[in-house]
Amino acid sequence: MMRMFRRRKGMSCDQVMEVLQSYLDGETDTETARNVASHLDVCDDCGPESSVYVNIKKSLAAQREDVDPEILETLRNFTDRMVRGEID
Amino acid sequence: MSPPKSDAQVAFDKYVVPELEVLYRTARSLTRNTADAEDLVQDTLLRAFRAIERFDGRYPRAWLMTIMRNANINRVRKKTPDLLDDPEMTFERSVDFAETEGPEETVVEPVFDSVVTAAFATLSPDFRQVVELVDLNALSYQEAADVIGVPVGTVMSRLHRARKRIRERIGEEGLESSGAFRAGEPS
Repeated sequence: MMRMFRRRKGMSCDQVMEVLQSYLDGETDTETARNVASHLDVCDDCGPESSVYVNIKKSLAAQREDVDPEILETLRNFTDRMVRGEID
Repeated sequence: MSPPKSDAQVAFDKYVVPELEVLYRTARSLTRNTADAEDLVQDTLLRAFRAIERFDGRYPRAWLMTIMRNANINRVRKKTPDLLDDPEMTFERSVDFAETEGPEETVVEPVFDSVVTAAFATLSPDFRQVVELVDLNALSYQEAADVIGVPVGTVMSRLHRARKRIRERIGEEGLESSGAFRAGEPS
C-alpha cells in the first residue's frame, strides 16, 4: 500500500533510488535523467534524500587540492621537449 | 621560424596536452606522492606519444587513463619487485588523504564537512580510490574504470556503496537537514 502511495508518475521511489547516484554524476541517459528530475521535484522523500547526496558530493569536491602551477609548467615543458624529439 | 608540426605533434597537442592537469591529479591519486606522480605522468606522456599515431581520436581521456594504468603497474613492479603485485596496495600504505586540507571553495557547513571527511577517511582503500577519482578528480565512471583496470560496474558499485556509508554517518549525526539547507533546497 505504502509502495503504491509512494509511486509517482514515471518512476517509483525505489527506481529513483536505484539510479540516483548515477543521475547525480551525469551518468544516466537523457530520458532517465528527465524522469528522475521530475520525480525529485514532487517527492517529499526522494527530493531531500537527493539533496543529502548532492551535499556529500560538494563536500568531497571541496577537498580537491589545487595543482601547483609549477608542476603543470614542468609537465608542459617536458611535453614540448618530448614532441621535439629531445626526450626518448 | 619553427618547423611545421608533424601529424603526431598536432594530435598530441589536440588530445593529450589539454588533459595534463587531469593526468597529474589522477597520478597523484594513484601514487600518493608528488614526485612519483610527476614521474608517472611523464611515463604516460612518453607512452602516449609513441602510440598517438594509432589513436583514433575517440575518448582521449579514457585512452590516456588506460595508458596510465599500465604505466603505474609497471612503476609499482619496478619499485617493489618482490611484491606480487597489486598497485592498489599503494593505497593501503598511503598517506591518508583526509588528513590534508584543500581549499574551501564552496560555502559549506563545517560540521557536515567534518563528518564527510571522517567517513571518507574510514572507507576501505578500494572505496576511497573511486570516490577520489570521481568526486575529487571529476573522472567519469568509464575513465575511473580504465585507470583502475576494473569493469564500470565495479566502479559504480564501489562508489555508490562508499557514498552510502558516508550518507549513513550523516544520518547518524542527524545532519540530513543541514545538508538540505546548504543546498538551498526547501526543508
